Amino acid sequence: MSEALIVCENLTHIYDGEVVAVQDINLTIQKGELIGVIGQNGSGKTTLVKHFNGLLKPTKGKVFVNGNDTAGMRIQELAKSVGYVFQNPNHQLFAKTVREELEFGPTNLGVPEDEVKERVNKAFKFFNLEKYRESHPYRISFPLRKLVGMASIYTMRPDVFILDEPTTGQDHITTRIVYQLIERLRNEGATVICVAHDMILLAEVVERMIVMRDSQIIADTDPRTVFSDKDLMASTHLTPPQITELSYRMRDNKQIKNLALSINGLLEETSKNFNLKRSK
Amino acid sequence: MRGAVIPITMVPGDSPLHKIAPLPKLAWSFGVLIIAFMTRNPAILGTIILAGLLLTTIAQIWKPMLRVMIVLFPVFVISIFLQSIAPAFPKPWNPIVGFGPFTIYQEGIYSGITMFGRAFGMTLFAMVTIMTTHPSDLFASLEKIGMPYVLNFILTVTLQLIPILQREFGTVLSAQKSRGMKGTGFGAVLPSMVPVFVGAIERVQQLSISLESRAFGSTGNKTSYRNVVMRPSDYIILVSGLLATFATGYWILVDKSLDWSRSMTFSPTLSISLVVSAGLIFTSFVTIAIFKIIKT
Amino acid sequence: MAGESLLPPLPNYGYKNMAKKKPVIEFRNLTFSYQLQEIPALKNINLTIYEGEYVAILGLNGAGKTTLQLCINGVIPNMIFGDFEGDVLVNGLNTQEYPTREMAKIVGMVFDNPEFQLTQTSVAEEVALGLENLGIPTVEMHPIIEDALETVGLDGLQERSPFALSGGQQQRLAIASALAMKPQIFVMDEPTSNIDPIGKEEVIAVAAKLNKEKHMTVILAEHEVEVIAQFADHVIVIHEGEIILDGTPHEVFAQVEKLEKIGLRVPQVTEFAYRLEKEYGVKVKEYPIKIDEAEQFAADTFKK
Repeated sequence: MSEALIVCENLTHIYDGEVVAVQDINLTIQKGELIGVIGQNGSGKTTLVKHFNGLLKPTKGKVFVNGNDTAGMRIQELAKSVGYVFQNPNHQLFAKTVREELEFGPTNLGVPEDEVKERVNKAFKFFNLEKYRESHPYRISFPLRKLVGMASIYTMRPDVFILDEPTTGQDHITTRIVYQLIERLRNEGATVICVAHDMILLAEVVERMIVMRDSQIIADTDPRTVFSDKDLMASTHLTPPQITELSYRMRDNKQIKNLALSINGLLEETSKNFNLKRSK
Repeated sequence: MRGAVIPITMVPGDSPLHKIAPLPKLAWSFGVLIIAFMTRNPAILGTIILAGLLLTTIAQIWKPMLRVMIVLFPVFVISIFLQSIAPAFPKPWNPIVGFGPFTIYQEGIYSGITMFGRAFGMTLFAMVTIMTTHPSDLFASLEKIGMPYVLNFILTVTLQLIPILQREFGTVLSAQKSRGMKGTGFGAVLPSMVPVFVGAIERVQQLSISLESRAFGSTGNKTSYRNVVMRPSDYIILVSGLLATFATGYWILVDKSLDWSRSMTFSPTLSISLVVSAGLIFTSFVTIAIFKIIKT
Repeated sequence: MAGESLLPPLPNYGYKNMAKKKPVIEFRNLTFSYQLQEIPALKNINLTIYEGEYVAILGLNGAGKTTLQLCINGVIPNMIFGDFEGDVLVNGLNTQEYPTREMAKIVGMVFDNPEFQLTQTSVAEEVALGLENLGIPTVEMHPIIEDALETVGLDGLQERSPFALSGGQQQRLAIASALAMKPQIFVMDEPTSNIDPIGKEEVIAVAAKLNKEKHMTVILAEHEVEVIAQFADHVIVIHEGEIILDGTPHEVFAQVEKLEKIGLRVPQVTEFAYRLEKEYGVKVKEYPIKIDEAEQFAADTFKK
């Protein structure tokens, strides 16, 4: 059955002894989950996920990763289990070639050379970056650099991927690629945690949403429930995707019965209600 | 990471010191600087330190002052340690007590104490000035007494850039550690500088475009938003600062009895405890600092 | 007084008289390549933007949106050099002949990273910087600064450090700083791409306000097509340095296939209507692009 991968027990983090960033968080993340963490800047979401790979240690309470208390562990140890992809790939990349960039993580973990090679080759395929193998990370376009950032974590084979704003500022093509990659990572058995404002990602890709406000988790459930709760959405200043908004209105106008979060969902819902037949 | 930033900037407040224009405060700080370098008299230096602490109280900036001093104080204190065994003082030196190759000298202790006093006193005054003055007012005043605009502007921007780069460096380091980066030595940290520098260059390029888009570098006359007004009381403080500096300076030059280097003597017990505690304060500070760097 | 201007005084057009549209920006056969790059970043651009329009620029990363925008205030070719052919006229002035700092009085620029635009130690001084550069007397600055900060909703934060503001506030400060110089045209390069949803809403609202209430011409590069559909009245689609679509939002977003082929998307409600038509044979008169239109469309289509 499911196994708990990350467990937070009464986690509280206070910066500089005065700023409470997260307060009394209890949370369990199972293996293979696809999670979206959402909330305005300052709501505590980044602080929360930084505890998962040990970048931050609890002021009070405990965080367990794979059953181990993170308090006594170094980030470098936790890196084996938890991979953190930073929002800005420029913060992450420094090597002379993309290949070296992908080798950096596993080499640090002490993975034997042959296996590093194999992992890097697989990553190039997985992310479709083979063309840029020997390119300088700063010479490729920004969206590609973002993918290199993800790939550099992928080669470390962590159990959990934390993706900080994987689609922000990206165009539609890159955004779509990122969605696909997230699903493929999950299909390979990884747990993916996206810290994101991208409403379409949250409505269509993730399966569990953790909503944060004022250092606390105010909702932890499936996206459908979150998006159905208009008060909750409004209280955190989140605007649903346009299609969800339309489906609210169509439901209010009694045209459909169930809320739809995606275009496909709404097409299905309307075709069912009005007996529309696919023309081909 | 957040605690690492030393608050060398204005602390908002409503004290009488905050209300004084920057120039009189600058004059006093500069006067203290001159006097501190003119004399080694512990009484005068002690008075300066006491005055500095009094001003810190009036300005209600004890907390930020302590945060700065936690870093600087051990550095100042170490001068007592270093000077006592190798005084920056004309020979002959009178030994007080010796352990093997080390000898503590009378002149050393005297010189160490006075050096500590100088550094501490000057820093106190400088910090009170910085912490009670809006940086823009400070720069505007400096411009009034002849500092060129562009230099001023560069200083302002640099001042802003330091905490940003510090933060950026922290992020880059976290990113590296998240990828299992080994070691904390300089060699390991060096690659992290690449993204920071690339980011800084990008920032400066973008900034120059942005500034040009706001008519920076226009050929016409420039005006200034900050208008630092000098009130009569400010002039009085300014003039009294200058007078006090001249008077004390004159006194120091004329009155030879202010040199206490021979008359002020230290017992071996006092000397040893001074030197040992100075050494202890410094080493414990360095140890804590190293420990903190490794831990994060 | 103010520094000597190279520009002739601006005619004062009555904004109420909008019937006669006046072109404010004209690109004439512009082709531009960055130094050391063979492929031009912009190819054969012909474009007219009229006074008071809200123009959205849509395109993939690297399609040429930023390059196009930097041509408007003359950063290209005056600060960033390259192979520049053709002309860009802003208010009838050729950008090649006027330095960017002169153009600042006509064109306000806001960039994607708010932090990279701020330099000063207080909000008020940040706004004052442009005015100081123009040589506006100190007494006249205060009301202008107050006014600009009020427009963007930052009044009361005058003494705050720009770096202590939230992303949305920083971006609005950048807008206020440009606004204080009283430009007629506002160019914004993905101003919301680095800020959170609240900040995004705030910035988009300010952009709309500048257009609707202050009657400024707004040119916005943005990825979120729903935002474009909601506010813009003129959409330009750039692909590989060329303008491939130029029209009203309805005209442009009706080209669903063309946009999808190059990797762009249309508003979700538009795609919904498009797929109802293509996949289910539902008759669609006009594709909705805004949420209200979509609600109406659903009401018209699905009568019980």
